[in-house]
Amino acid sequence: MASEQELSDFLKDVEKRAFKRSVYHVRNVESALDIVQDSMMKLAVHYGDKPVAELPMLFQRILSNCTLDWFRRQKTRNALFSNLSDFESAGEDGEFDLLETLNTQNHSDQTESAESSTQRAQTLHEIESEIQALPNRQREAFLMRYWEELDVADTAAAMGCSEGSVKTHCSRAIRALGKALRARGIKL
Amino acid sequence: MTNSYQYQNQLAQDRLGFRITARLSDATDSLPHDISERLRAARVQAVGQRKMALKYAVSDLALSGGEGSVTFGKQHFGWWGRLAAAIPLLALVVGLIAINVIQDDNRDRELADIDAALLTDDLPPEAYADPGFLQFLKINAAQDR
Repeated sequence: MASEQELSDFLKDVEKRAFKRSVYHVRNVESALDIVQDSMMKLAVHYGDKPVAELPMLFQRILSNCTLDWFRRQKTRNALFSNLSDFESAGEDGEFDLLETLNTQNHSDQTESAESSTQRAQTLHEIESEIQALPNRQREAFLMRYWEELDVADTAAAMGCSEGSVKTHCSRAIRALGKALRARGIKL
Repeated sequence: MTNSYQYQNQLAQDRLGFRITARLSDATDSLPHDISERLRAARVQAVGQRKMALKYAVSDLALSGGEGSVTFGKQHFGWWGRLAAAIPLLALVVGLIAINVIQDDNRDRELADIDAALLTDDLPPEAYADPGFLQFLKINAAQDR
C-alpha cells in the first residue's frame, strides 16, 4: 500500500503534466484545475490503498474519465442553454495564454537572451497548438505514451482500448506532429 | 528486412515523440505561481481526504465485531461478526412466534368461557338456533329500551 508520503510525491510528480494535459483537452484553465483536483481526490479516496506501482495507470484513467465527464457536462449544458456565452467577453478567467506562462518563467532566467527566449516560447506555442489540433484519442495516446511515459499496455489499459489501437493512435499523432512542425520550419 | 525497417521506423517515431514531450516538460516545470499553488493545495486536500477515508474504513471494522480481520478498504466479517448481525433478526422471529402463541391462547380461553357460560346456563344451547326464541329476545330488548 502506498504511504501518505508516496502518494503525495506521486501527485506532486504528475500534477503539472496532468494540468497541462487537461488544458490541451478542455482549453480552459479553471476547468483544467477542477479536473485535476477531482482526479487527485478520487485517486486518494478510492485508490489510496493501492501499491505505488499501480498509481500512474489508475491516475491516468481517472484523469481521462474526469475529462470525459467534463465534456459530457458541457454538452448537456450547451444543449440546455443556447449559445449566449458566445457574446460574453473571453479572457476574464478562461483564457490561458501559454506565452504568458513562458514570459513569467523567463523573468527568473536572466542569463538567457531575449531572442532565444522568444524563439523557445514561439516553438513551444506552435508545438502546443499542433498538439491541441490532434484528434482527442490521438492526443491522449500520444501524451500518455510519450509524456507520462507509460508503456503501450498501460496506456491501452488507461484508455480502455487495445494495444494495437494505442500504437496506431501514437503513430498517426507523431506523423501529424512531425509533418506540421516541419511545415512550420521547426526542428527538434 | 521488413521487420528491421519497422523497428527503425518505430525507434524514429519514439525518438521524435520523446523530443516533442521534452519541450513540453521544459515549459511545465515552471507554471505560473498561482496555478502551482492551487495544484499544491489540491494535492494536500486529496492526501488529507485519503487519511479520512482510511480512518472511516478502520472505525467501521472496529464496530462490526472484535474478531474481524482488519484490512483497509475491504470489510471482512468473521463468524462472530455474522452471528452478532443475525441476533436482532433471531430476536424478531422469536418475538413474532411468542405473540402468535399468546394470541391463540387468549382466543381459546375466550371461546372456552363462552362455551362454559352456555353449558352451565338453564337455557339449552339449541334455543339460540330457534327463530321464535330469537324473535322473543328482540322484542324483549326493544321493550327494555
